[in-house]
Amino acid sequence: MIRLTIDGQTVTVPEGTMIVDAAEKLGIEVPIYCYHQALGPLGACRMCLVQVEKMPKLVTGCTTPVAEGMVVHTKGPAVEKGRRGILEFLLINHPLDCPVCDKGGECHLQDYTFRYGPPAGRFAEAKLERLKDAPVSELILIDQERCVLCQRCVRFLGEYVGEPQLMLKGRGVETVVAPVDDRPVDSRFSGNIIDLCPVGALTSAAYRFKARPWNQERHPSVCPHCPVGCPVTVTAREEHVVRVEGRPIPEHDWGWLCDRGRFGYDFAVAPSRLLSARVAGRVVPEVAAVRHLANLVRTVREQHGAAAIGVVVGGQHSAEDAFYLRHFAESVLGEGVRLAVSQTVKGYLPLALNGTYDDIGVADAVVLLGSDPYRAAPVLYLKLRERWRRDPQLVRWGVGVRPLSRPTLPLRELRVGPQEMAATVAWGLFSQRPDDEGLRLLTESLEGWQPRDPEGARALAATLLDSQHLVLLWDGKEPWMEAVLGVLTRLRGEKGTRVLPTFGPPNLRGFEWAGIPARWGALEDLLQATVRGEVRLLWVLGADLLREIPDYALAAQALERVEHAVFEGLFPPEGSERFELWLPGAGWSEEPGTWANLEGRLRSVAEAVPPPGEARPVKSLLTALARALRQPWTPPEWNPYLGAEGGLLPREGEPTAPARLPRPEPTAGDLYVWGEPEVFVGGYPSENLRPRRPSLLGEIHPVDAAAWGIGEDGGELGIERFGRRWTVTVRPSAAAAPGMLILPLGAAEAPVNQIGEGPASVIPRVEVERR
Amino acid sequence: MFKTVKALAKGLGTTLRALTEPRDTIAYPEKRREYAPRFRGKHMLARDEDGHELCVGCGLCEAVCPANAIRVVAAEAEPGKNISWTDRYSVDYEVDLIRCIFCGMCEEACPTNAVRLTPFNELAAYSRLDMIADKEELLHPPVRK
Repeated sequence: MIRLTIDGQTVTVPEGTMIVDAAEKLGIEVPIYCYHQALGPLGACRMCLVQVEKMPKLVTGCTTPVAEGMVVHTKGPAVEKGRRGILEFLLINHPLDCPVCDKGGECHLQDYTFRYGPPAGRFAEAKLERLKDAPVSELILIDQERCVLCQRCVRFLGEYVGEPQLMLKGRGVETVVAPVDDRPVDSRFSGNIIDLCPVGALTSAAYRFKARPWNQERHPSVCPHCPVGCPVTVTAREEHVVRVEGRPIPEHDWGWLCDRGRFGYDFAVAPSRLLSARVAGRVVPEVAAVRHLANLVRTVREQHGAAAIGVVVGGQHSAEDAFYLRHFAESVLGEGVRLAVSQTVKGYLPLALNGTYDDIGVADAVVLLGSDPYRAAPVLYLKLRERWRRDPQLVRWGVGVRPLSRPTLPLRELRVGPQEMAATVAWGLFSQRPDDEGLRLLTESLEGWQPRDPEGARALAATLLDSQHLVLLWDGKEPWMEAVLGVLTRLRGEKGTRVLPTFGPPNLRGFEWAGIPARWGALEDLLQATVRGEVRLLWVLGADLLREIPDYALAAQALERVEHAVFEGLFPPEGSERFELWLPGAGWSEEPGTWANLEGRLRSVAEAVPPPGEARPVKSLLTALARALRQPWTPPEWNPYLGAEGGLLPREGEPTAPARLPRPEPTAGDLYVWGEPEVFVGGYPSENLRPRRPSLLGEIHPVDAAAWGIGEDGGELGIERFGRRWTVTVRPSAAAAPGMLILPLGAAEAPVNQIGEGPASVIPRVEVERR
Repeated sequence: MFKTVKALAKGLGTTLRALTEPRDTIAYPEKRREYAPRFRGKHMLARDEDGHELCVGCGLCEAVCPANAIRVVAAEAEPGKNISWTDRYSVDYEVDLIRCIFCGMCEEACPTNAVRLTPFNELAAYSRLDMIADKEELLHPPVRK
């Protein structure tokens, strides 16, 4: 630790701290443009000039590390003169277009000029004219005249994300920020450069001219699009969400967002949004719809009892919504109402094994168990990459049916076959610890079976057992993996073993905390009971069953069989004609609530705008329903933060006991259909992000592509599975393994859950064309 | 009796005297008062010589307005069809003349000198809604007679 004096105040900071950070600790503001703690020092803008005693000239506070006994002055005539000079230089070519600039009012150049700048510039020459309002991608505009060349955007994309798509072009006064090779900046983290830009050089095309800092409201909230649950700030103006920004949380989160979260907020105004209640497709007043639902409840309950009512919750509901729902089901609907959470995979992770993002910061080994965080949980990927950049010794493994490695985060690969991951991991662990009873039980059924890469499996097991702090990312596809993870945790004992589940509805943990059974088993039981005819009224809230859940056939059968299906949510679900009653629901940002992310961390979502049309929050819907049923019900008071230390849900729950793993079957067929989450494809419709949605959804290995006559530009591929034929668009991609057809989950054109994961045969191209 | 007549004469005298005195009132609306040259009345939105609107919808008037009487919504003009002198213009510009206190700070804040307070001050209307001046109204300022 080093002691130094800044403006007469003494501060103690760790060695290597920069002067600006030490000053910040004291609450002394030093103006900066180029420096960002996540990006490290650069010293490009010279804005942070400070005076250090015994140094002949002013020094940049962001590149000068502190030293013992240093005496720093951030005020005083010399510093003020220095800042004035720098600002005068920065403003030489800066246009005076603040009134039309989207950054106006929240611009660092404006603020610092106002605070530290000269009253007027002395340059009489004409300002240089450069590119203005030019798109660097469909989502971001660049104004090179306004740029102060701080290079934050260049460095964020190039160094932090590792996708160098912006660069400095030209020399001296002609230097500008420009896209590399004039290609669009299409990194999925590109939106962050808007937040990073201290001036109005990089602005959002979607937010262009929409609002100003003084006529908007900003609400702290949480992103609803994937289980990562990034903290965001929602900007609303005149009852519309106009912008989403990252919300840094000191010591926890830099506030990075992926473009899905940053630009995908416009689903709330999508034309397909359900704005009024419908009975059998006919628009009815909300009151009539609630009365209709009350009649259904009454009839079903009288004839078959409350156990004939099933409720599935999912989508954009908060933990409070789920709690009200459970309370309502128990106290109004009656004993025995079946509740379940909609699922996207069959796996479940007990909270006891669940890690947090802080675990990544101390990990010495990271193992991806089938998860591709780049696609499924982009910001989590950034966290992993940051960890690797800090500690190049970090042991990194990618275990999956296809390569999970990327140039920006190279991994040691272990290729497994479909549905072989748990078996491979258990086999490897057993080879290291043959005397363990749990492992023996798990691998009993694997007698004589060998993973594809036995050497790799043994090496992986060694990492799994020997690393000091292990972080695993799990895709949740094989439910029996839970037992393997349980055994692994037990074997590792004191050493940190933390799992981050990258699956599920974004608020899965919130629903679980509210007391709704969150295992796949609960949903499966409910749907099976529906198929058997025990459940007569199926009420689905927020979930799009036929699009989400892995067992399409079961859901389809259940909806076919059930007498009355009721839907509440934002968009008409897949197979909407099977629901006799549709109720428009309030979504994210339209009601206050609490969400829990994949860490099991609770964060509050603010109410930024009122629900559109006749959409209403669950609480109000349930109150109206209770009234229609003539049963008294008051929404209970519930504070989800009670019992959650520091907002983290208590680490409870035991993993399932080890039981025989299913023996992997050799697969036959031309291509194995495999679904994976991809944030830009699944989820809510977004007009802003339309250009980012891949036009060719599927991916096959280039060798397969050549074999099936798919050119480099991709094309249509006909496949047959369970006697049904499908045509999917595919592109050759190195990210797919030979023999695999990788499809994103949740795409209407290629519904992978409906096609069904497993071997499929390819319909030869000629035949497809003739059809 | 005498007392009564005296009082009556005094009263009438006052009245008669007042008839010849100069008047403090004017015969509005036939006659109108002369105002100070910088009198602050109803707002207007100005155009430049080419007929382009000066207002770019920056919203500074909205920000500075102490009575919260102004609402500005900006938008981007279609390429080649600029409405203001630049590609940003105001789609909506509303002044709530009931709320307005005619302080003139909007005029002072306006970076393009678009919003100006005219001497027009005859603001009566039959409904509250009519007292909200929209952009069309502000672009065509009434002339004071």
